[in-house]
Amino acid sequence: MNPTTFAAILPEVLLLVLGILILVVEPFWKEKDRRNTGWLTFGGLLAILVVSLLAGRPGEPTSVFGGTIRFDWLGFFFKMLFIFAAAMTSLFMMDVEKLGRRGESYLLLLASTLGMNLMASASDLVMLYLAIETTSIPLYVLSGFIVDDEKSTESGFKYLLFGAMTSAVMLYGFSLLFGFTGTTNLYEIAAAVAGAQVSTVTALGVIALVLVGIGFKVSLVPFHFWAPDTYEGAPTPVAGFLSTASKAAGFAVLVRLFFIAFAKNGLAPDWTTGLAALATLTMTLGNLVAMTQTNIKRLLAYSSIAHAGYVMIGVVAFSNLGVTSVVFYLIAYILTNLAAFGIVAVFSRVAGSDKISDYAGLSRRSPWLAMAMLVAFLSLAGMPPFGGFVAKVFVFAAAVKSDLVWLAVVGVINSILGVYYYLTVLKVVYLYRMEGEAEESHPIPLTRPYGIALVVLSLGVLLIGTLFAPWFSASGAAALNLF
Amino acid sequence: MIWEWLIKALVLIFTLLIGFGYLTYYERRALAFIQSRLGPNRAGPQGLMQWMADAVKLIFKEELTPDNAYKLVFFLSPVVTMVPSIVIAAVIPWGPPVTLFGQTFNQYVADINVGILYLMSIASIAVYGIVLAGWSSNNKYAMMGGLRSSAQMISYELTLGLSFVVVILMAGSMSLVEIVEAQREVTWFAVIQPVGAILFFIATLAEVNRHPFDMPEAEQEIVAGYHTEYSGMKFALFFMAEYQKMIVISAIMTTLFFGGYLGPGVDRFPWLGPLYMAIKIIILLFFMIWVRASWPRIRYNRLMAFGWKVMLPLALALVFITATGILLADTMGNPWLMAIIPVLSLIAGWIATLMVDRSLRRKSYA
Amino acid sequence: MTVDLILFLILALVAVATAAGMLFSRNAVYSALFLVLNFASIAVFYLLLGAPFIAMAQITVYAGAIMVLFLFVIMLLGAEQLAPIKVLPWQRPLAIGLAAVLVAETAYLLILRAKPAADIIPPAETVNTLGELQRLGMALFNQYLLPFEVTSILLLVAMVGAIVLTKREKGERE
Repeated sequence: MNPTTFAAILPEVLLLVLGILILVVEPFWKEKDRRNTGWLTFGGLLAILVVSLLAGRPGEPTSVFGGTIRFDWLGFFFKMLFIFAAAMTSLFMMDVEKLGRRGESYLLLLASTLGMNLMASASDLVMLYLAIETTSIPLYVLSGFIVDDEKSTESGFKYLLFGAMTSAVMLYGFSLLFGFTGTTNLYEIAAAVAGAQVSTVTALGVIALVLVGIGFKVSLVPFHFWAPDTYEGAPTPVAGFLSTASKAAGFAVLVRLFFIAFAKNGLAPDWTTGLAALATLTMTLGNLVAMTQTNIKRLLAYSSIAHAGYVMIGVVAFSNLGVTSVVFYLIAYILTNLAAFGIVAVFSRVAGSDKISDYAGLSRRSPWLAMAMLVAFLSLAGMPPFGGFVAKVFVFAAAVKSDLVWLAVVGVINSILGVYYYLTVLKVVYLYRMEGEAEESHPIPLTRPYGIALVVLSLGVLLIGTLFAPWFSASGAAALNLF
Repeated sequence: MIWEWLIKALVLIFTLLIGFGYLTYYERRALAFIQSRLGPNRAGPQGLMQWMADAVKLIFKEELTPDNAYKLVFFLSPVVTMVPSIVIAAVIPWGPPVTLFGQTFNQYVADINVGILYLMSIASIAVYGIVLAGWSSNNKYAMMGGLRSSAQMISYELTLGLSFVVVILMAGSMSLVEIVEAQREVTWFAVIQPVGAILFFIATLAEVNRHPFDMPEAEQEIVAGYHTEYSGMKFALFFMAEYQKMIVISAIMTTLFFGGYLGPGVDRFPWLGPLYMAIKIIILLFFMIWVRASWPRIRYNRLMAFGWKVMLPLALALVFITATGILLADTMGNPWLMAIIPVLSLIAGWIATLMVDRSLRRKSYA
Repeated sequence: MTVDLILFLILALVAVATAAGMLFSRNAVYSALFLVLNFASIAVFYLLLGAPFIAMAQITVYAGAIMVLFLFVIMLLGAEQLAPIKVLPWQRPLAIGLAAVLVAETAYLLILRAKPAADIIPPAETVNTLGELQRLGMALFNQYLLPFEVTSILLLVAMVGAIVLTKREKGERE
């Protein structure tokens, strides 16, 4: 195996090694030490991040493993994002009851991350499908991990049913694609599609089928029904992982698949129009429904649906700037939303509730947590100087540049809608008091893993929002690989 | 052409049918011999017509169908059990090609290049008859027998499959004819991979529900298991299927591990092929009977534990060892390096036996 | 009409009939059995297409392993009698409409692609030059090595997941 080939799957190999290490080591630890698997996972993931950044950087885009894997900056960038998200999630998972002390939960997290990594770099339909399943199956289990909790079981089961159904539909799409073009390689498919071997109508039919599977992963609107229920019932850190990394992986597949395989002139306008409509629907519905929520996890679920719509704007722009803004948006979104779900996890662990009204008096119970919440929610709302603002600006700019002013306008209106409900939550946190109790006697202690993760994420959100140039140029480098 | 196939198939079916009759006789006589009895010796000389008498009895017995049975499935399941036990024999070569009336005839019904997979798929289909018989009887004991048999057959199918893989690795082909011919060049695969042959034997015992793995019809626990409600000719079909499977599976084992039709002088006199096959099959059948005479039935949870925790890992180890040996012999260019296969696999088998022994001593199995 | 075509038509009829039987049967065991028949007829399609390996794998894996487990579970739970389904009022019209769309789509594709599908199905010669099995093995361990390995990871994880969801911790048993 030559060095490039190996470097292409270096993070995956390391993830596998770490997972097996956990599987082997964990049974030998005593019950009370099992929480350390979380630290092991976190440390391991950081090490993988560093090693991959040092030794696994791609050069010129190359196809390896018989064309099943594309080794380029786009994939690499996403891989690093996923590993980072997994590291943060492992920190959040450590103090969750019935989850943090089980080695299996970390193994599943790692396996899912491995799948996402492959999703980001797969350039073959077979590989792609396997990667998607490798991502999804551990996540089904993680959502339903807490077996004696009915909500968690319901969440896992719903996710499984929707996932199985949509991936079956997507598989139909893949098989048709293979049938029409005679190859499973994305780049060869692109040539076949461009060579008029496939008529526009059939191509659009295939796109529709494939979109079902990807739309499910990124929770686009007609395929979003699972998200609120799953996020609500799943253990909170898992919900956070689902709403960030899993969604980003979906977008990684989306851009690669659509921008390479279906980039044919004359075909692109058709599907971008369709996607633009979906994006509008997604944003609007997500934001409108989010306003009426009383459960913070459901609110975040609808907000994450809305955010999928914003990212979609960047995809629809179908330009270099568009992909750059997608990648940048996803960085900001992953940092922000992970922080938001982390805060919810901390709060519900102490207060035992996810109701928004129970957040009253949080600013007095734990000022720092409230501060982190302020950062996360303002960033989600798209306020300067946080990451969410810059991300939205780039996305809308990409839309305007591609002559999609109406879409940008829809996006801006939606952001304003979003501000309303994010600020409502902050209002409860900062202005309301606990009824008839002294807040000081109900502190919310932060354990060390939560502390570390929240500090890292909050600083990250600020950093992205202020010093955005390096991140933007990195996103641009990644985007360049598609054109 | 089509007549050739038809005749061959008919010959095969009748051989199996007659073989079934004499196998029951053989089993009863051999059991009697082991237990210092005489066995059936009244019908015909030395009792040789005993099977005929039994058949007549079964045909004239009253057929019962339970009132609440699922009639169609109840009627079909003996057939479903019977058919695989015959069709599986289609790919077994019984001898080298013979020349008759100036034409060359192959002594097999079909030689397909995925012969072993054919065996696997038919073997995996065979479970349906028993499961459906158990279910359609609408009887608790029958149902339990059916469930037991499906769980057991699925579990042991894995080991069976991996033993097939061992043979495929050594022969480099999935065609049974080529597997036999490959043994002409080296030696019997049972010599190269003795532990594989033993594993295969054990797995086949479980596959055909023979002692000590006849849990689906354990009479002390669940009356007669899946065929509790069956009588007359339908019962006879189950009976037939079991004994035909014994014959066929012995033939397969002969083909895979004991050189098939190969033997001294078989090239000059191709008709010796079936004879050698028959001799080897009879010897293997004796082992099956011998096991029945000397082993108690093992308890169900132990049966499953043995299948999953001993047989499967051991079979995996054997595949690994075989592949390593072949690779080594290939890269070094020295066929004698293949000798590490039997050595290593005997060690692996020995370790497995030791571990089973230890765990049996240590705890009384809750 | 060649023998193959006649065989195909008969089998296609069987496949469709068994699929319909699977859907409409009110008894779960019969449904499962119809599905087994369906798999078997599809396996024969593969044989007709000159792919005996896939045919055998189809029977072994689907009919022989998966459906047996289905039957096992159905019988173990005693769930063979399905409860009557409540049909939503809009369900039937919608289903019929969608089916019509599907039929139209298929017909359109069939008419549109009037040219023979020679570029899609590899000619028989290339299949036969090297044994099908060898070709499969070569493809699996060269071009598709990584997906092949990933499959094993996927299976490992699925196994871990299944155990996590079903195994009770010690002392948790009711």
